[in-house]
Amino acid sequence: MSASPGFFDEAVDDQGRIRDHYRPVQEWFDRLSLEQVKALEEQRNESFRRQGITFTVYGGDEGTERTWPMDLFPRVIDAEEWATLERGLIQRVTALNRFLDDIYAGEQAILHDGIVPRRLITSCTGFERDAMNVAVPLGARCLVAGIDLVRDADGGYRVLEDNLRNPSGISYVIENRAAMTKLLPAAFSDLAVRSVDHYGRSLLRALRSIAPPACGDDPTVAVLTPGIFNSAYFEHAFLARSMGVELVEGRDLVVDDHVVAMRTTRGLERVDVIYRRIDDHFLDPVVFNAQSTLGVPGLMAAARAGTVSIANSVGNGVGDDKAVYAYVPDMIRYYLGEEPIIPNADTYLLWEEEQRAEVLERLDQLVVKPVAESGGYGIVIGPQATDAELAEARDKILDDPRNWIAQEVVNLSRLPAWAGDSFAPRHIDLRPFVLCGEQVEVIPGGLTRVALREGSLIVNSSQGGGSKDTWVLGNSEQPASGVQR
Amino acid sequence: MRLDISYRTKFAFDAPVRESQNELRACPVSDERQQLLDYRVSVEPSARMLSFTDYWGTRVDHFGVTESHAGLEVIAEASVETQDPPAHSAAPAMESLGDREFLNTHDEFLKPTRHTDWDEAMAQKALEVAAADGSDVVSAITGLNEFVGGRLAYEPGATEIGEPITEILAKGAGVCQDYAHLAVALCRSIGVPARYVSGYLFSSNERTGSVDGDLVRVQTHAWFEAAVPGGGWLALDPTNRLAVGRQHVKIGHGRDYDDVPPLRGVYSGPGIPELDASVEIRRMDPSRQPSSLMRPSLLAAVKAPRTREQQQQQQQ
Repeated sequence: MSASPGFFDEAVDDQGRIRDHYRPVQEWFDRLSLEQVKALEEQRNESFRRQGITFTVYGGDEGTERTWPMDLFPRVIDAEEWATLERGLIQRVTALNRFLDDIYAGEQAILHDGIVPRRLITSCTGFERDAMNVAVPLGARCLVAGIDLVRDADGGYRVLEDNLRNPSGISYVIENRAAMTKLLPAAFSDLAVRSVDHYGRSLLRALRSIAPPACGDDPTVAVLTPGIFNSAYFEHAFLARSMGVELVEGRDLVVDDHVVAMRTTRGLERVDVIYRRIDDHFLDPVVFNAQSTLGVPGLMAAARAGTVSIANSVGNGVGDDKAVYAYVPDMIRYYLGEEPIIPNADTYLLWEEEQRAEVLERLDQLVVKPVAESGGYGIVIGPQATDAELAEARDKILDDPRNWIAQEVVNLSRLPAWAGDSFAPRHIDLRPFVLCGEQVEVIPGGLTRVALREGSLIVNSSQGGGSKDTWVLGNSEQPASGVQR
Repeated sequence: MRLDISYRTKFAFDAPVRESQNELRACPVSDERQQLLDYRVSVEPSARMLSFTDYWGTRVDHFGVTESHAGLEVIAEASVETQDPPAHSAAPAMESLGDREFLNTHDEFLKPTRHTDWDEAMAQKALEVAAADGSDVVSAITGLNEFVGGRLAYEPGATEIGEPITEILAKGAGVCQDYAHLAVALCRSIGVPARYVSGYLFSSNERTGSVDGDLVRVQTHAWFEAAVPGGGWLALDPTNRLAVGRQHVKIGHGRDYDDVPPLRGVYSGPGIPELDASVEIRRMDPSRQPSSLMRPSLLAAVKAPRTREQQQQQQQ
């Protein structure tokens, strides 16, 4: 394996030498025979299938259920590198929370001061006017954030997008680790890999910290799911189980005198904090989509009355709109008085005339994304697009420039992944998860996604991507997860 | 003018419903033209009220009824003191609409919405109307107000809420909400920020604005406001082609009807509701006359012949 120009290789330096923090893993895999790897793959598939760890791809006539594709070769991040990332993530999510609270419950100072244009907010599809002045304890509007990071050709980390509404994937982080410790216990033997399986406890602590002050010191938390047909239902059930709280659907909840209660076998039980995995528009038919049967009538009024807290807060889409994303470095400077530790990818706002003109000339060299989508839907990658696709993208941009951004292609870094008969370099990204309660906490590592097709830059599982266990190496002061669980 | 308003809505379900959750927007706003003196809401079956001011500045009263009920009655009573608006002196040129900061602060009143989604033909018509009445923003707005008032025939039941504005225009008939939505859409189509206003009209005839006696029985009313660069919001009533004056009581505004519906909510159960809504407005200082129906600055714009209207009056 040798370094190739244009991409940063995670495991080897530009002289072709294995980087120190990958040496134990690389050596361990070098000792495996083809048959051994294939046996491990079989074992992994069987284990995921047995546990029902799957995901659903939407589109076409109906969703398709697939077994979770985890690659055996782990990603490794050394302690020092992680410390910088952790600081950068805490900084970013802190600023985003300040921004969301400023917009919905504050003076909108950042708009008055002209740092962010008002019309950027009022034209945002995720800006929920019905969430205006609904207070959230601690201002923890983004209680769970998933921040997508990539590494450019020089190895520098960049934020590609923020996910502040309902980021998913944490259950796969935990299941990947569980699978790896079973499949490859010996691979952990020389390393102190930091644990991820405390996530349920940390999430519960964060959720309880935003409970309405009046509800006492033993608040009741519930996870609200759209139901079993949702692509992330597995995760919703997983999180409720790992927190030891009820998993409910909208029909299980009732609002009486602006107080939320759930129907249980013991009768009605008051709910203080709802971790909802339902989109804003389905949450309460009184104020949003009146046709929604997934939500709870009167829930927004209860939140406004302060008898229940909802996480993540309603209206967070205003913070992860991809045109607003371009302003996050300014938010960090404005709210925190700091320089961003992790920079954005180079981004063009297509409603700005000059930037649009430049982008339309170079469309075949850039990535074009719709501002309010996630999961990789609607993305056009210039260098790989056909002329017809580029022409279509151009029309869409001209039709509604506010709805699109363009970014320079980031040559995602590479790491070996199993390619049928050998390990070959494949492109990866990283989605760390950040929890905000009384403190801001980053779960070590996160979800490393890998584009399993050769040359592909699309890592989304909905688009043929897989994942890798992500190992953050501990130093002497930090707790590490052992081989045995 | 001191007006006492009683808003009443009664639902009768043909079978009991288990639960209903509702939001009421019936309270007059306090602004530079009117002052709210008193406001009370009562609901039967009784329910706890959560009152708050929404994003648009409108007071909302939220209540839920979670016991089985076959009927629901909401009564909102308000006392309000109204005045005529100050005269509009600014008449900026159309070019001033392109000012970057003006666009930045009025963006949400320039976009099409569910009820104000215009087409190319409407935008073309709006341009013609605006050009015919001079090249300044105020003349364009008053011209469009006139155009809408003359283009639609007042016909209760002609349209349904949710009908596209292009279809309403093709029909050429509607009620006050349709007049307001059409005016808003036309203004926006030529770059004039406009907003829909929900309120009450102290008038015995919504179509003419005329007043007969001190007590009127009406429905909620709707009109529109358009933004004049450097001159604030100009309020006009296309249903009766009037400038908004002291007989208009504003509840609130939004991008369209959906932002300020008098009552919205959901109920669960098999029952189908029959709705009975009414508004009573009583003038409490009858010695004072309502304002003249046209302000001088708008006289020029309100000059179309009234024959058609008068014919309609005779029919009523």
